[in-house]
Amino acid sequence: MQMTLTQTLVMALIQIVAVLAFIFVVVPMLTFAERKVIGYVQVRLGATRIAGGRKGLTGAVNKIMWWMGHFPVISFFRGLPTFMADGIKLVTKEDIMPAKADKFVFWLAPILCMVPAFAVFAAITFYPGVLGVFPTWVPIVGGLPVDGYITDINVGLLYILGLASVGVYGIVLGAWASNSKYPLLGGLRSAAQVISYEVPLTLSLLAPVILTGSLNFKTMSVELATGMSPWAILPLFIGFFAYITCGFAETNRVPFDLAEAESELVSGFHTEYTGMKFGWFFLSEYTNMIVVSALASAFFLGGHYFLPFGFQQFVPASWGWFAQPHLIFFLLKVFFLLFVFLWVRATLPRYRYDQLMSVGWKYFIPLTLVNLFIAGLVRFMA
Amino acid sequence: MFKNEELEINLGPQHPSTHGVLRVKLRLDGETVRHCYPVIGYLHRGVEKICENKTFFQGQVWTDRMDYVAAVSNNLGWAEAIEKLMGISVPRRAKYIRTLLTELNRISSHLLWLGTHAMDIGAMTVFLYAFREREEILDVFESFCGARLTTTAFRIGGLRDDVPPGFEAKVQAFLDRFLPCIDEYEDLLTENRIWKKRTIGVAPISAEECLAMGVTGPVLRAAGVPYDIRKAFPYAAYDEMQFEVPTRMEADTYARYLVRLEEMRQSHRIVQQCLDGMPEGAVMAKLPKILKSEVAEVYHPIEAPKGELGYYLVGEKGGLNPYRFHVRGPSFVNLQALPKMTEGKLLADVIAAIGTLDVVLGEVDR
Amino acid sequence: MSILSTLFPYDIYKGLKLTGRYFGRNFFSANRKKVRANLKHITVEYPEVPVHLAPRFRGRLQMLRDEQGEIKCICCLACERICPTQVITIEKDKKEGRKLPFPKRYTFEMERCIFCEFCVEACAYDSIILNHQFELAAYNREDFSHGTEGVFQNMFKPTPVGTFSVSADDDGNAPHY
Repeated sequence: MQMTLTQTLVMALIQIVAVLAFIFVVVPMLTFAERKVIGYVQVRLGATRIAGGRKGLTGAVNKIMWWMGHFPVISFFRGLPTFMADGIKLVTKEDIMPAKADKFVFWLAPILCMVPAFAVFAAITFYPGVLGVFPTWVPIVGGLPVDGYITDINVGLLYILGLASVGVYGIVLGAWASNSKYPLLGGLRSAAQVISYEVPLTLSLLAPVILTGSLNFKTMSVELATGMSPWAILPLFIGFFAYITCGFAETNRVPFDLAEAESELVSGFHTEYTGMKFGWFFLSEYTNMIVVSALASAFFLGGHYFLPFGFQQFVPASWGWFAQPHLIFFLLKVFFLLFVFLWVRATLPRYRYDQLMSVGWKYFIPLTLVNLFIAGLVRFMA
Repeated sequence: MFKNEELEINLGPQHPSTHGVLRVKLRLDGETVRHCYPVIGYLHRGVEKICENKTFFQGQVWTDRMDYVAAVSNNLGWAEAIEKLMGISVPRRAKYIRTLLTELNRISSHLLWLGTHAMDIGAMTVFLYAFREREEILDVFESFCGARLTTTAFRIGGLRDDVPPGFEAKVQAFLDRFLPCIDEYEDLLTENRIWKKRTIGVAPISAEECLAMGVTGPVLRAAGVPYDIRKAFPYAAYDEMQFEVPTRMEADTYARYLVRLEEMRQSHRIVQQCLDGMPEGAVMAKLPKILKSEVAEVYHPIEAPKGELGYYLVGEKGGLNPYRFHVRGPSFVNLQALPKMTEGKLLADVIAAIGTLDVVLGEVDR
Repeated sequence: MSILSTLFPYDIYKGLKLTGRYFGRNFFSANRKKVRANLKHITVEYPEVPVHLAPRFRGRLQMLRDEQGEIKCICCLACERICPTQVITIEKDKKEGRKLPFPKRYTFEMERCIFCEFCVEACAYDSIILNHQFELAAYNREDFSHGTEGVFQNMFKPTPVGTFSVSADDDGNAPHY
């Protein structure tokens, strides 16, 4: 069925709004989850209440959360309203700019950081098919199918990698524009870090590209899960660990959070940022985490299918529901990887600047090159 | 063509990892530290001068507030220095209780060091695990003397009170579960490749340099010098205790980490011995109604968790307060080693060096 | 061997196992149920859950009365003299029907008190104690000093800080947060 221009635009708009809504729900939840997961790991409780004491609305909310504390698992979600409080605080906080900052660049930096992080979602396939059909009474798009992806471009992976590397300009420019010493050091560290980890990250993603012979996100994720030879499990497995580690470095998370190393650089590149401008940096960091998790789960963990690393091919069709792709599998894998981000943050110390570089160049690049060779071998044999 | 400019940067006094109000002026070439200059004095209260104007009895509350994470050690040094000055002998039971509390205090001080040092290097969970155990030690202090941090634990001539009922059981319960807790910290750190990379070979200082600058405590022992005042000049009940002085030869941050962990184990041993061999009897010596000093001069060193803590006291005839009082604070002396440890290294190593020196600014500035 | 140990990060796995175990224990056990001692979370939800203090806890200074309801203090000034920070000042007075001196005004400046309990130790008549009160924050500096006339009575019982300079009520118990 050929869609008219209006229909295409409206459909795209609906999908974009849906994806943005997904991000804006998941990111605050992720900040909340970060508090709780790290709290639980550290034998604390994390956030359990909101300010406002025992009176009024906040008091009622606090009372409910106190009651929730009696039950396992449910008590994890105590303090959930804190993410709203976070948002309100970020939006309403005074926006301070250092006196000698480069005003234009200071503004530009968080936008440069955030826009690519969001734009990447255009090429991510949440589900390789039709999610549902609009009922016919809906104006303009009535009766049309909704795809599980916004676009299905042939060079999707290239687009993602290209855009993702733009984000670092935001960090570097923001650090430079702050006209302050700690941010400057943070920005320089970040630039060096992203350059050295971009290479192994891309190399580890090249293994799936070689295995499938495609750059299309949808084709790759479906084929990697189902259509591989059993030997492909090995490069996928190695590639996953290389990719996820480089992903930690790309998103500036522990153990590679040098750009904002709290104990060294106070707060790194966003030391001088306040209010919503800081919020954008914050948002883009967490959005990048979602992107890295989405890519890892799509290419290495079997994406929308049940089993990771290409094991899905051994699942017989008689398993029924488990043999089919589902959006829920994809989301569960993404959320698990996001949990791993938090888990690792609670466990590991931080690398030093020069050690980080040497790990990148001397360890991950050879590893991913070997992995690439294995992937080529598997492709050649098949 | 290029101008080689150095970046001068202020680390502190308000900085997440300077452990209080230490200010370090750094000149950086990129990330490399070219010059390091610690600036102190932001917490100066004039403890020594104040104590010269207080009676011997009152002075103890000021020693609480010098090294506030090891207040019991400071109390012990003060009490013993004055006992030495006046020739008072303390009952054996009081000595044992003093030793017990001081060793618990060493554990708690090392736990705080471990937590903050690991946090500086980025492992944030160790901090909370260490504080979980430290909390129990502070509970023991609270049950003994009523305060957790500024303990004012001892009195000149012994103790104010005997231990409260249930004290032994409380300490024993802590001892029983403490050793597995050290293993937990070790699980998180000792073999961790990132921790090793961040600490092995970082902030080295040789034994000769240590001795030249008067650096004592775990920093010196990690350089291979088995100098521990508990062994060298025993005080309190340490001459009756069986323990070892852990030393390492590497003289780097990792060695200091291992030495301190081992010291915690040895402290555990000492506390257990105190508990098992606790003698009966009085806890307070017979004292004159008013403490008056003779003309005398004493220097009494004790092994505080950070190193040699020496109290120098001069008494005058019939004086109610010391004529001259001086503290040889281990943090203050050890801090001298910071430039030597960090110059030519990276910025991140400065943080590790500050952490591994274990300075408490209350004692540095006094 | 070293290549193997580099490739298979057992050290990192060990750390993750430990932290994961703690997460699981706290996640799957009810928050207020007692789990094994060193796996239990350590948060004390303070205002709702009371803190247990040791019997020897040193809190705010409090004066005591004897069985007849008379002030035990006889103005020997021992506490005033021993206090390392000079927070206690006593004005002596005589009272009919009482042989011993009576403190007309016993000023205790709590904002400077360091809670060392030397005063209690010095007191030969057991007329003062440090009670178990530790919530000693107030909004005004004036709220701390409660030796002024009219609010003298409040020194005889644990009183919430911030109200005792206002309330002269002998028996009124202000709500304790």
